Amino acid sequence: MAQPFPYTYYACDCYDGNNTSSTKRASQLLQEAEEEERTFDPRSPRANYSLYPLEHLLYCEDCQQVRCPRCIIEETLNWYCPSCLFEVPSSVVKSDGNRCTRSCFSCPLCTSNLQTYSLDQTGESAPPFILECQYCRWSSLEIGIEFEKGQGIAAQLARLGNGGKHIPTNKERDKERERRREVEMRKSRDLLSPSTESTNTDTERDDRPPSHDDLFSNLTAFYKSQVDTQTPSNPFSSHDINFSSPSAYSRIMNLYSTTGSKKNKRSKPSAMREAASSLEGLTIHDPISDAAAIERIKREGWGVTLSPAQKHAQINPNVRFTDEIRPLATLLCTKRSKRCRSCRQILTKPESKITSTRYKIKLLALNHIPRLSIRALNASPPTPVASRTAETFDYNALKPGIPAHFLLHLSNPLFDSIKVTLATPSTTPGKVHSRVTILCPQFDVGANTDIWDDALSSSLSPIKRGSVSEGPAQIEAGKIWDRGRNWTSVAVEIVPGFTNSQGSGSEEQELEEDEDVLEIPIFVRIEYETDAGADDRGLGDSRGSKGEKERREEAFWTVVGVGRIKGA
Amino acid sequence: MSSSGERKVSASLGRSVRGTTPRLADLASTPEAPRTPTLGRSVSSLFGSPGGSFRTEDEYVVIELGSRYVRGGFPGESTPRCTLSYDPDNQRRVGDYRQWDPEYGQKRRKPKRGQDWGQEFELYRMDLSQVDLGVVEDKFERIMREVYNTYFVLDTKPRRILLALPPKMPHALMSTLLDVLFGGFLAPSITLMSSPVLSTVAAGLRSALVVDIGWAETLVTAVCEYREVHEQRTVRAGKLLSEEMAKVLNAALDEHAGYQEFDDISFKEAEEVLSRVGWCKSKPRSNRRTLYFPARTSPILEEFEDAVETPEPTVTIPLSKVSPPSEIAIPFATLAKPADNALFATETALNEFDDHELPLHHLIYRALLSLPMDVRRLCMSRIIITGGVAALPGLKSRILAELEALVHTKGWDPVRNYGTASARHDHILRQQKEAVELRRQEGDDKISESLDPDNPLPAGLRGHEEDTIDAKLAHVALRNGPPPASVVGGIVRGVETLGAWAGASLVAQQRIRGIVEIDRERYLQHGLQGASKEKEVSVVPQRQSMGPGVARGAGERASWTLGVWA
Repeated sequence: MAQPFPYTYYACDCYDGNNTSSTKRASQLLQEAEEEERTFDPRSPRANYSLYPLEHLLYCEDCQQVRCPRCIIEETLNWYCPSCLFEVPSSVVKSDGNRCTRSCFSCPLCTSNLQTYSLDQTGESAPPFILECQYCRWSSLEIGIEFEKGQGIAAQLARLGNGGKHIPTNKERDKERERRREVEMRKSRDLLSPSTESTNTDTERDDRPPSHDDLFSNLTAFYKSQVDTQTPSNPFSSHDINFSSPSAYSRIMNLYSTTGSKKNKRSKPSAMREAASSLEGLTIHDPISDAAAIERIKREGWGVTLSPAQKHAQINPNVRFTDEIRPLATLLCTKRSKRCRSCRQILTKPESKITSTRYKIKLLALNHIPRLSIRALNASPPTPVASRTAETFDYNALKPGIPAHFLLHLSNPLFDSIKVTLATPSTTPGKVHSRVTILCPQFDVGANTDIWDDALSSSLSPIKRGSVSEGPAQIEAGKIWDRGRNWTSVAVEIVPGFTNSQGSGSEEQELEEDEDVLEIPIFVRIEYETDAGADDRGLGDSRGSKGEKERREEAFWTVVGVGRIKGA
Repeated sequence: MSSSGERKVSASLGRSVRGTTPRLADLASTPEAPRTPTLGRSVSSLFGSPGGSFRTEDEYVVIELGSRYVRGGFPGESTPRCTLSYDPDNQRRVGDYRQWDPEYGQKRRKPKRGQDWGQEFELYRMDLSQVDLGVVEDKFERIMREVYNTYFVLDTKPRRILLALPPKMPHALMSTLLDVLFGGFLAPSITLMSSPVLSTVAAGLRSALVVDIGWAETLVTAVCEYREVHEQRTVRAGKLLSEEMAKVLNAALDEHAGYQEFDDISFKEAEEVLSRVGWCKSKPRSNRRTLYFPARTSPILEEFEDAVETPEPTVTIPLSKVSPPSEIAIPFATLAKPADNALFATETALNEFDDHELPLHHLIYRALLSLPMDVRRLCMSRIIITGGVAALPGLKSRILAELEALVHTKGWDPVRNYGTASARHDHILRQQKEAVELRRQEGDDKISESLDPDNPLPAGLRGHEEDTIDAKLAHVALRNGPPPASVVGGIVRGVETLGAWAGASLVAQQRIRGIVEIDRERYLQHGLQGASKEKEVSVVPQRQSMGPGVARGAGERASWTLGVWA
């Protein structure tokens, strides 16, 4: 599709294998049975999820099957920040979350990296510091944030709200909540007993609405207090025994206390109540903030608002205007090992060093599955670079209705020679029907021996490269086109279909994106004999069948993208 | 040991098993070996010291699932770690990088044939006849993989999942989603919670009328004491709204020079315009004529709002995908029209609506009307408006104002039309209202009247006698009971919520176990069919079960149910 033509995708067949029976009904089962015989349709909506380039696939040697990202299990080995390459221990990931806790930030508008700059005029790095985007020139000054130190930006930012306000930590929040509750209690007592003087000295109340985090922590505290008052009344509620809390201890002590009558005396527990004030997390809808937002959009227009992508990238996605955004700490990356989902064998395992890109274990499909590729068969032999520009085949403009010849090239990474059978539907599925004929669907491919063997053997017994050198190509049905040490190529004849089939209204017939792309599903079946027990350790050994040959076969669908058919 | 031979057969495949010493669990399976009678481990942990097994699987991840977005995060955090949308750009083949092509960003993609507005951006729809569940599974699997691998970055320990789902979902769809979570992400158990209840939790309430203005439909759920008691739906929601916005933009483009035919605005552009500069008039205007206002409170505000500003304010919208890229200026008032048309349908008379397309305020009114009176009293003063569209500025105020007006005109009378008697009914209603007004206004004068001993006031018009005992009781209730602010009822009042995800995070943090808890093993055995048919399973352990029944253990339940989803 968007890969340059020509390309090849391999289908991993896990997508219809992992359905548990619970979702299947009888009709679906029937459908499944039919599917066995159906050809693979690269245009079906599910195909997008089962097709992979060969480089993306792994291979499980125990199951002898291709493994795609869906049929593996990933295990995180270590965490690191991709920006400062600092390895983050797992305990920190657990406590501080999935973002870098040092000074790595990305721009909230354009997602490129932010850099720390000093605003000092003298040229030395002295406070104040700001973060600035290298790409779009957004800086933290726009949200009114300056830093005192050049290091540890994340810790400073956690305490700085937009506009330089102080963000309370959780402990401070708790303290503040307690203080305000005290004040309110006193007030309500005053209300109840009007005799006492109302000593309301608390005037420093700020009137701005509590932030999302404030509300959440208020709610948390409220529910916690409510649940705590509930639980002691029910000592046998074993479902949430939390032995670290004092309430649980009192409950346990209750169990062992001899005064059993005490329990009966306890009054029926009152139901958990609702939150009653904003201290407990209740917010009554206030039309003023709505009106202010409308007024602001009216006044300042498009420029001050955030796009959906920018909003969703924010930690708190409930923001609307550009002065509410925060710099985004860089998301941590992980190094992961991958296991086969069915047999749990490790398929890949990277080295644990962050800066190393090497792998300890790496079982790639590249080394186990023949690579299939296609290219146009030019009538003229490949010539030096000079004339290539004129001669190159334009894969983006296949001419409809005119037969064209292509070469299917199959190279074998295995150390045994393989027998290949190719199959393809005679017309491609989809809206544009192209006719496809593989001229030689059955052939052998040599083993992947030492590269020098090729050089040596070719001098001794020259392989027929004749067809190219002998001038005009002779394409014969049933004969391979060319062959090398571990590769074979065969010719394919393709008649691209017409993009606009004649008749009927133009609107119905209008092609959608990528419908003019000529993609051929090809079923590949390979058969080979290999040393039994060479790669499955253990099983073969006990029978003592060393050296015995074992027949293996593998089959899979591939999709070959040939090119784009030119509209007539 | 007698059983060793037998065990070897089963273990012969794996070499590593051979060397291990037999464990206690193995002993239990051999009847010949001396052993203590099997005791459920949970019994000992109930009475004895906390077992190590007790807290192992207690960690949760919290996932909220909608038809357009998935949110994921950890309990106790106020915001989700990620909010991901089902974008067709994420649904391409692996290795297809065209979305990063600078040219690609300029082009406008045509929607696929036969697909509804924005269908590519949905995960599922409730009408399963149009949905290929296989594709749903693929999409969901891929997006969950991104959630886990990019945002959760967990260690290998399996975590339980708290899944916030809309109440009512086709079972086939549910099992598709659960399959992915159990199969692909190895969750030991999944707790389902319905999103209206969680929105209620996140507002700090126990009862509420949750108006979830989602993508495909608006769902009005009455929640009473954390239970869904009533539910109404309408299709007037996000999808209709963005379609209307596209119409407005297309009309504006029409006037703009250089516009080509068939070059309609794309879904993404309409969505962006809507979320950036869309708004909603916060005062109802159209049905003012029909509103009945008592003479003294006739609103003056509205005349003020009607005044046209000069020059008319406009908003300039850059459209980069039009060729050539251009900016269009749209009057600010026009940007409020989609909300008017899609959600309130101000132009249409009420009798023309079908049951599934009632305007929001009528839907909410009907939902309230069908509630029992005491539940209605609680719910009407706890209206929670949430969902993706609720962020549209002005929308919440508008809904509440419209509702207030409806209640004001109609009262809580289920009869919509009295036919020939309507004149008389109106008359009675008016009389009642005016009498109430009169009494309230002239309350002060009455005291002097009643003091007159010669012609005492009829009992009905007299004020209540003050009883000192009553006052004392009220006083005690005020001191010991819930604060008066939490028992408000009978007035139309909106309450803000932090959203269903935050509610789920709160619930998981408090370690509250849900009614619907699906165990992995049981699900894999029977699927959704394994659920018991009872809707309610008592979460609180029964006293009687201290006998042999407790052997099942505290952490396990004998059966599981699907609750509201059953």
